[in-house]
Amino acid sequence: MAIDEDRLSQTFAALANSTRRAILARLADGPATVNELAEPFELTLPAISKHIKVLEQAGLVRRGQLAQYRPCALEPERLEEVASWAEQYRPVWEARFDRMDNYLRQLQPATRGRSSR
Amino acid sequence: MKDGNVSQDAVTIERIFDAPIDLIWQMWTDPQHFAAWYGPDGASIPVAKMDVRVGGTRLVCMEVQTPGGPTQMWFTGEYREVVENERLVYTESMSDENGNVLSPSDMGMPAGHPTTTEVRVELEDVGGRTKMVMTHAGIPSESPGAAGWTMALDTLAAHVRQMIADQN
Repeated sequence: MAIDEDRLSQTFAALANSTRRAILARLADGPATVNELAEPFELTLPAISKHIKVLEQAGLVRRGQLAQYRPCALEPERLEEVASWAEQYRPVWEARFDRMDNYLRQLQPATRGRSSR
Repeated sequence: MKDGNVSQDAVTIERIFDAPIDLIWQMWTDPQHFAAWYGPDGASIPVAKMDVRVGGTRLVCMEVQTPGGPTQMWFTGEYREVVENERLVYTESMSDENGNVLSPSDMGMPAGHPTTTEVRVELEDVGGRTKMVMTHAGIPSESPGAAGWTMALDTLAAHVRQMIADQN
């Protein structure tokens, strides 16, 4: 259960805002500059920049290195990680079934020839 | 990833075990066997009460060692389908030691985590070995706010998955 709760909280806090979710949805179509991202919203550039900063700190968005341009792009991994609570359980269950498999081998060591199938 | 199933928010795992079907059934329904594999490494299952019949309740305690001492987490639920050696369906919620359900957000779980989830285990004999399909799914919350939140995230996640699929 290697889920970093603080990091998850930060990500969820970043997602708990409709403007920021709209920005993410826009970035799902491809990278965009701050100006491009600001277009559909009736917000000032500094306000949009602030939202992007929150998304960046939450690991949901990364920004390019080009000094003037610095397009924003989506970091899909983090979104995938938090989008589904169920997916967070997948590694937990996989580990459980690995243990079940080991336990079954202990329980029935010689009775079943696993290599011969 | 393109299964169109994202809004259902469930995890499904299929495994084949080199063991007879009745033994796999016991893995889920015999508290002693269950305790041997269920908890994460370093955790123990000091309590596993299982009234394995439709409508019967279950109460499981998971004890994890932390720097501050042992921490217990309790889970309760109800058996919904019990077909021996074939299908087991039960619900699961976080609870206190008396089986009183606690809300996931109170327990520090992230937003969007359903209060009650359902675990479905389906078993099938394949030539003396056992195929097991486990599905862990959320039961939709009664709270419209929570549902809206989950839908918004699911829509976004579907969009992202499509984007990833298009790139590949």
